[in-house]
Amino acid sequence: MEKKIEMPKLRPEMESGVLCAWLKEEGDTVSAGEPLFEIETDKVVNQIEATASGVLKKQLAEEGDTVKVDTAVAVMETE
Amino acid sequence: MEKKPEWLKVRYNQEAVNEVAELMRDLKLNTVCKEANCPNLGECYQKHTSTFMILGSICTRNCRFCNVTTGRPLPPDPNEPMNVAKAAQKLGLRHVVLTCSTRDDLPDGGAEQFAKCVRAIRKVCPGTTVETLISDMKGDHAALDTVIAAHPEVLNHNVETVKELQEAVRPQARYERSLSVLRYCKEQDPSLLTKTGFMVGLGETEDQISRLMDDILETGCDILTIGQYLQPSPQHHPLARYATPEDFVRWKELALSKGFRHVASAPLARSSYKAWEALEDVHDLY
Repeated sequence: MEKKIEMPKLRPEMESGVLCAWLKEEGDTVSAGEPLFEIETDKVVNQIEATASGVLKKQLAEEGDTVKVDTAVAVMETE
Repeated sequence: MEKKPEWLKVRYNQEAVNEVAELMRDLKLNTVCKEANCPNLGECYQKHTSTFMILGSICTRNCRFCNVTTGRPLPPDPNEPMNVAKAAQKLGLRHVVLTCSTRDDLPDGGAEQFAKCVRAIRKVCPGTTVETLISDMKGDHAALDTVIAAHPEVLNHNVETVKELQEAVRPQARYERSLSVLRYCKEQDPSLLTKTGFMVGLGETEDQISRLMDDILETGCDILTIGQYLQPSPQHHPLARYATPEDFVRWKELALSKGFRHVASAPLARSSYKAWEALEDVHDLY
């Protein structure tokens, strides 16, 4: 089943986030709880975890892209 | 924005965060985790831990380091004490940390609401320990007496920074007043564990840190937390530097050698981060 991975809203006033690094490549197997990508905010770098296990099918954003909250950044094929 | 060092990476799981966030929303509760944009929110929510921020999310002060919104707060919510207790029960907390926005608009600074919350937790969650992380309540003894009389296991009040940076970092607070809050509470009830914390990275020197520890210790304080200042936005007090993990180890050793009973010192250590561990460590004191 395909599952879209979206840019999370890390705080109430957040409208978009910069995806600063991918931690998994297309085709990689990912377990729930493993970090998928990083978003830098004012305070820290947040490693966003996969919430389901599967295969990272497609990255929809590149490193350095600014992505609006709730917009898909990746598609996963989940188990 | 200065590049973040490797040790300032945190994990975030949206589903785990949503679960706790929904519970708080349903019970009309605030957490300082969310309001202060705490970097540990992802980790703590995933572990079903959070720090309640009672008396609303609007603060009457405007500290230069803090992310909490300044403005005119609403009156205390009479349902809040019972809702805090219910949330603590649902989360299965064994140690509850209550903090607040600073309420200079209330005659008692919010002391009675603290006491009500402690009593509600005692009723609904027997056996659970409570830590009150209070504002200075303007140093008012009657207000502090109200909190002390509720007998939380830990009375926490943060000095936040060295003496020399107080004016720049927390202009509506006073260094001596914060120290006197800690001293007074310990004198009134020596069985109360007292706790405070400060940030580094605001521009303080090593000597100033050492003197700050001495001043805190002189109040009879038991537990100390030391963490990295993280600038919430470009409008806040500028970040002077990122201290290294080794710096934090050194400060921990210094504080322990001076006589603190427990010291949590790490880049992402916060007042209430793993507060249970501090209490457990000094349990023999009471």
